[in-house]
Amino acid sequence: MLRVEGVRKLYGDFCALEEVSLEIQAGEFVSIIGPNGAGKTTLINVVTGLLKPTSGTVHFKDRDIRGIGPVRLAKLGMARSFQLVTIFPELSVLEAIQVAIVSRLGRGTRLFHALAADREVRDQALEVAELFGLQDKRDARARQLPQGDKKLLDVASAFALRPECILLDEPTSGVSTAEKNTIMQIVVQASKRMGIRSIIQVEHDMDIVFGYSDRIVALHQGKVLADASPAEIQADEQVMSMVVGRPTH
Amino acid sequence: MAGPAVAQTSPRAGARAFAPGAWVLALAVLAVLVAPLVVSPYYLTKMLPFFAYGVVLLGLNLLVGYTGLLSFGHALFLGVGAYTVSVATTRLEIRSFEVILLLAALTAAIVAAPIGALCVRYVKIYFGMLTLAFGMLFYSFLIKFYAVTGGDQGLRVAQHSLLGLFEARSGERVRFLTGQFYYYAAAVLAILALVMWRIVRSPFGLCLRSIRDNPEKAEYLGVSVRRHRWYAFMLSAVYAGIGGALLGPVTGQVDPTLVYWTHSGNLVFMVLLGGFTSFFGPLLGAFVFIFLQDQIMSVVPYWRLVFGAILAAIVIFAPTGLMGLLSQRPTLPRWAVLRQAPGPEHAN
Amino acid sequence: MSNVVDVLLSGVFAASILFLVAAGLQVVFGVLKIFNLACGSFYALGAYVGVSAVNWSLAAGLPRPLFVLALVGGGLALAFVGPIVERLLRTVYDRDEAFQLLLTFAVVLMLEDVTQLVWGTAPYSTGALYLSYGQALILGSTVPVYNLLVIGASVLIAVGLGLVLTRTRWGRIVRATADNREMAEALGVNMRRVYVQVFTLGTVLGTLGGALVIPSTTAISEMGIELIVQAFAVVVIGGLGSMRGALVGALIVGVLRAVAIATRPEVEMLLIYLIVIGVLVVRPRGLFGGAAA
Repeated sequence: MLRVEGVRKLYGDFCALEEVSLEIQAGEFVSIIGPNGAGKTTLINVVTGLLKPTSGTVHFKDRDIRGIGPVRLAKLGMARSFQLVTIFPELSVLEAIQVAIVSRLGRGTRLFHALAADREVRDQALEVAELFGLQDKRDARARQLPQGDKKLLDVASAFALRPECILLDEPTSGVSTAEKNTIMQIVVQASKRMGIRSIIQVEHDMDIVFGYSDRIVALHQGKVLADASPAEIQADEQVMSMVVGRPTH
Repeated sequence: MAGPAVAQTSPRAGARAFAPGAWVLALAVLAVLVAPLVVSPYYLTKMLPFFAYGVVLLGLNLLVGYTGLLSFGHALFLGVGAYTVSVATTRLEIRSFEVILLLAALTAAIVAAPIGALCVRYVKIYFGMLTLAFGMLFYSFLIKFYAVTGGDQGLRVAQHSLLGLFEARSGERVRFLTGQFYYYAAAVLAILALVMWRIVRSPFGLCLRSIRDNPEKAEYLGVSVRRHRWYAFMLSAVYAGIGGALLGPVTGQVDPTLVYWTHSGNLVFMVLLGGFTSFFGPLLGAFVFIFLQDQIMSVVPYWRLVFGAILAAIVIFAPTGLMGLLSQRPTLPRWAVLRQAPGPEHAN
Repeated sequence: MSNVVDVLLSGVFAASILFLVAAGLQVVFGVLKIFNLACGSFYALGAYVGVSAVNWSLAAGLPRPLFVLALVGGGLALAFVGPIVERLLRTVYDRDEAFQLLLTFAVVLMLEDVTQLVWGTAPYSTGALYLSYGQALILGSTVPVYNLLVIGASVLIAVGLGLVLTRTRWGRIVRATADNREMAEALGVNMRRVYVQVFTLGTVLGTLGGALVIPSTTAISEMGIELIVQAFAVVVIGGLGSMRGALVGALIVGVLRAVAIATRPEVEMLLIYLIVIGVLVVRPRGLFGGAAA
C-alpha cells in the first residue's frame, strides 16, 4: 500500500534520512520507533507529502506522492493525527468531525446549504463520535475537553475521512498511563469498524508499541536499524539498547 | 440580538441562545420599518449609511471573524462599488439601481479575484499589509488618473431609479432618500444578511471556521485552505462592493477618501466595536459608530479623540465588543489570543 | 545634469526623513513585534512641536542661525510620549497582532485630534527660516544648505544607531531580545525595561524626523497618516525589523518618488505601491528581512 524506497533527506549538510526503505501492506499495524533526532518526524513529513525527499521515491497505492501536499493526500486516502494535539479550539466536537466528512463528500464549497439540515453529514459524524466515545460531549467546544478527549478528537476527525491508511504521530503522548490503553483500544476498534486498512504510528511508549504492532521499524540516526516483528525486536539486544534503552538520547 | 455566536455549536444550542435574541432582532426590524413614520428626516438620513456599512461589514466579518484574516484594505472594494454607481449613472447612462448593484458586485468580484488570489497566500500581519498596499494602490490610482476618476474631487452620482418605479425628482432628494431609498436599502441589507446567515451555517462556513482555528489540521482533513480563503475574500469583496454602491446615492458624490487606509481601519474598528465573534456584532458596531460619531460631532469636532479612546478601551478591556458585553461572554476565542511568531507564514 | 542632481538631492532629503521614521518603526517591530501605525503620528507631533519650539525660542532671544537646536530640542523633548503609549500597548503584548495593530490605530486617531486640539487646523510653518542657511551650489544645482544638514544629521543618526546596536552592551541586549525573547529573558534581561526603552527610541526617531522636516514644509494635521503609508512602504521593501532595510528602503522610496514626480507625476505613489506589492509577493521578508534589528 505504502512504499518508501531509498529515501534521503538533506537539510544543508545534515542528513536527516539516509537510504530509508520500508513497505507497509494493507492490514498492517506498523510502529516506527527511535530516539529523538532519529528522523521520525522527517519521515512522517516525507510520507505525508509535506516534504519532498532529496532522492528516493514514495508511493501510495502505486502513485507517486512526493510533495503532493495534505489536501490531495487526504483525497487519495491517507490521513494523519498530530503529536501535539491540534484541534479546532472553537469548534464543537461534532463540528470538528463534520469538517472531515464535509471535505470527504466534496461539500466544502457548498455555500448556501444548511449544514444542520444535512442528515448524511450529521449521521456520519455522530457515528464517528460514538465510536470514539465522544457522543455525550458532541456540543462541547474542543478547547474545553480534557487532554485525553482532545487526543481522541484529533484522531477521530482523521478517521472521519475514512482513509485507507492512517498515520498516528504519538497518539498517546501527553496522557496518563491509564488512558493510553483506552485510547489504543478505541483506535484499533474504530479502525476495524471503519475499514481502515493500515495504521502507521510513531510512538515512544514501548508497552504500547509492543502491545499493538504487527511490525516495528526502528530508526537510528536517519537509517533503518531494524524492521521486524515485535518478538524479534525484543530479542535483539543491540536494537533494544540503541533505540529503546535510551528513548530520550 | 444577543449573539448566535460565531462558534455556535449545534442546532439545539442555537435554538436556546436564539430565543431572546430573536425577540431583539424582531424588535430591531420593526423599529427600522416604522422609523420613517416617527423619526425626523435627519436621523433617517443617518440610517442610510448604516444600511450601507451594515452590508460591507457583514462581508468583512466573514473574513475577520469567520476566516481569521484581518484586512486593512477593505475600503478598496467599498470604493469600487461606490465608483461603479457613479460611473454607471454619469457615463454609462444606466438608470436601474438593480443593474447597478449587480454591476458593483460583479466589478468587486473581478477586482477581488486576482488580489485575493495573491493575498490569501499570506496570513496575519503580511495579509494585512498586502491588503493595505492594494487599497493604497487603488487610492493613488483614483487621485492621479483625473480623467477617469475625477481625481481628488471624485465623481458625482446621478439620477437612478429603484425597481424601475421610483426616482428622485429634482428638489425632492431628501424625500426620496428617506422614503423609497430608505426601505430599498433596508431590504438589501436584510436580504444580504439572510444570505450571509446561510453562508456561515453552510458546510463552506464550517470549513472557514476550521481554517481560522487551525489551518494545518484543516489541510490534513482535505480542506483546501487557499481556495476557501480565496472564496471568502471574494464574497466579502462582493458585499463591500454592494455596500459601497448603496453608499453612493446617499453621499451623492464619491471621492478617493472612501478607499484611504484610515477608512479601512474604521471598517475594522466598527467590526471590533460591535464584536467580531457574533454574527450581528458588526451591524451593531456600524450603528453605534455612525450615531455616536454624529452625536459627538454635534458637540465637539474631535470625534477621533473620543473614538480612539473607545477603540483602545474595546481592544484592552472588551475585545469581543459590545456583543460580547451584552452576551456576557467577554473572553476571546482561542485563535485570537495565542500569539504566533511573526513571519510570512505561507498558507500551506 | 543640474536637473538630475536636483531630483536626486530632493529624493535623498526625503529619504533621510523617511529613514528616521522607518527606523523607529523597525526598532519597535524588531523587539516588540508590533507594527506601530502611530509612528506617523509621532512624526506629525514632532513637526508641530518643532514649529512651536522654534517660534518660542526665537521670541525668547535665540539667535536665528541656532533654530536647529530648538527643533532638535523639541523632537527630543517628545520622548515622554513613548513610555505613555508603551504603557497602553503593554496591555496587549500577549494578544494576537491584530489587536496590537488596532491599538496603535487607536493612538493614531487620538493623536490626530490632539494635534488639532492644540494647534488648530490651519497649516503651520517656520516661515523663511528654511533658507536662512543659504543655498549651496552642487554640480550646477542650487540646494538649500538646510537640506544638506538634515541629510548629514540622518546619516549621523544611522551610523550612531548602528554603533549603539552592534557595539554597546545595551545594543546587544536589544538585539538578543529581538532574536529570541525567551532566551534573553532567561539570561536575566529586564524585558519590561527594554521594551520601554526601545519604544521610546522608536518614538524619538519619529518625532525627530518630524521636527527636522518642518522648516522645508508646513505642518498639517494629515501629515502623520500620510507619512505612515510611506514608512510602511519603506519597511516592507527593506524587510520588517531590519535597520539596513530601513536605510535602503528609504532611499528607494525617497529617490523613486522624486524621480517620478519630476518625470511622470501621475505614477508617483502608484509606482511605490506596485513595488511594495511586488516585494511582498516575491520576497515577503523584504530585501533585508530576517536580519537582526
